[in-house]
Amino acid sequence: MIYYIASIAVMLIGLYAVLVKKNLIKIVIGLSLMDAGTHLLLVAIGFIKGGTAPIFSEPGLTADAMVDPVPQALVLTAIVIGLAVTAVALALVIRIYAQHKTLDIRKISSLKW
Amino acid sequence: MPELFPLSPVHYVAAPLLAAFLLPLVAKLSRSFIKILPGLTFLYVLYVSAVLYPQALQAPIIEQIAGWAPPLGINLYYGPMAGLFASLFSALGFIVWLYSLTQMKQEPLDRFYILLMMLVAGATGMVLTGDIFNLFVFMEITAISAYSLTAFLREDDKAEAGFKYILIGSLASAFVLLGIAILYSYTGTLNLADLALNMDKVPLSVRVIVFGLFLVGFGIEAEIFPLNGWAPDAYSAAPAPVSALFAGITVKAALYALARVTILLFPFAGSMALISILGLVTLVISELAALHQKNLFRMLAYSSMGQVGLAIAALGLFTAEGVYAALFAMINHAIVKGMLFLTVFAMAGGSATLDGLNGMGRKKPILSLLFTLGAFAIIGLPPFSGFWSKLSVLTAMGQTGNYAMIAIVLATTIVEAAYFLRATGRLYLSEGNPAEGKTPLSAIAALAVLAAGILWIGFFPGSIDETLTAGAQDLLDTAKYTEGVLKD
Repeated sequence: MIYYIASIAVMLIGLYAVLVKKNLIKIVIGLSLMDAGTHLLLVAIGFIKGGTAPIFSEPGLTADAMVDPVPQALVLTAIVIGLAVTAVALALVIRIYAQHKTLDIRKISSLKW
Repeated sequence: MPELFPLSPVHYVAAPLLAAFLLPLVAKLSRSFIKILPGLTFLYVLYVSAVLYPQALQAPIIEQIAGWAPPLGINLYYGPMAGLFASLFSALGFIVWLYSLTQMKQEPLDRFYILLMMLVAGATGMVLTGDIFNLFVFMEITAISAYSLTAFLREDDKAEAGFKYILIGSLASAFVLLGIAILYSYTGTLNLADLALNMDKVPLSVRVIVFGLFLVGFGIEAEIFPLNGWAPDAYSAAPAPVSALFAGITVKAALYALARVTILLFPFAGSMALISILGLVTLVISELAALHQKNLFRMLAYSSMGQVGLAIAALGLFTAEGVYAALFAMINHAIVKGMLFLTVFAMAGGSATLDGLNGMGRKKPILSLLFTLGAFAIIGLPPFSGFWSKLSVLTAMGQTGNYAMIAIVLATTIVEAAYFLRATGRLYLSEGNPAEGKTPLSAIAALAVLAAGILWIGFFPGSIDETLTAGAQDLLDTAKYTEGVLKD
């Protein structure tokens, strides 16, 4: 349970940063945090306390003593996707900064909705 | 050599991806390859369509990746509906490539074509896949290419438009991933067909939450109100060929995903009614917003959202006629709006305003004629394709007794007519500046293909009737879908 609460908390912190922060870099950090929260939640879903890797390495090891490997595979993929999104976002931030010489979204009129 | 190298739906995704990753190497050999390779790739994929699509109309082709049977492995589902969309995407990709040959001048061209092919590959993957996490991955491939393409031009406000898109797009992907995580925690499966069978393990309240997450996630990509704030900026910032692809491909893929997931996993009446209402609201608000636009690309973007709204309103009826009408509206919109974006760009350049159209009727008669054709088709004047698509939407609404919806659609058609006829009037009735430059042949050829499509559907609406009926049945018949995927 604690894992679920923690991962949701990380997501909400990220959402807060995206919605409230005025600095472009902080917004991008917020996006990454939201991603990270989702990833934690996914891993927590498959986690079993005291479980081992899903390899039939020892005799007598059964499937219910193993950690679910599917969420971990998903998270690996999701991390790569998150990395790509963050990289593109930061590249755009660099271009915005080069043009406006500021990272404050209040001073960049074309970023208003 | 059909035995050695059998055609399979995997090629839809694999060929453009392979070409995209080969392109940087090929670019080192010769600059001219950069332009040729995407065209060859799209031609090949169209060939795959020509062979496989007739087969899919008989029986859906279900492809297991790497020999792992579903629900453990990932499968591709190439049925009448997915086949229709995959073929449409490939055709649009080819047409946009043909158009870009001469109209896309901004370097670096190799990166432009890489992103273009990734966009098409991702969107095609979204409609083909039978695995919900795979769907998420393809959605991200599409989205990341779309972000980059939005900010492709290194001019004043392009990076800002890209950043807005990335911000809201990341929210969408986080929501979809969260929904997938919740579904997995209850059912222990990711295969769409298997999920559909196991949905009763999920409590109703959780189902509603997950439906909300998917609606927001896919709705952002599909430009459903109020989640479409990114779209006008992205459409006007992206190079025009890309705007045509946004309207024709990314939005359609997201709509397909939303429709497939909703019908398979959340087939309660409330979810459908909600989608219908959202569609109508999107339709009304977008058309009214389009009326005020001076920038032609923004006008087309709002009109694009309106058309999406129309399609979703019909989809939410959840009848065979409704889905048929929604499919018709989506296909009509992909062709017509694609043509309008490309025509406007060829006529008046990347920052075209209404004033930019003044007097074009005399200076660029062919392009003006094409624009008029597209405008009439969008409004729904007979005998163009838009007439039949709108008629089928109205018929579907009439059959379910939703006369208020018919009234709304007709009212927005008047608004639509107002701003499109205003633009068309500028072409022929206003005096303008002297024109410069001629339109290259490749651009005209690309536009002519689309125009021919509009006229063909307009004069022979029966010719696509079978395709659309099969597609609608494919989407609605969930039992056949799950059985087909899980048969072994």
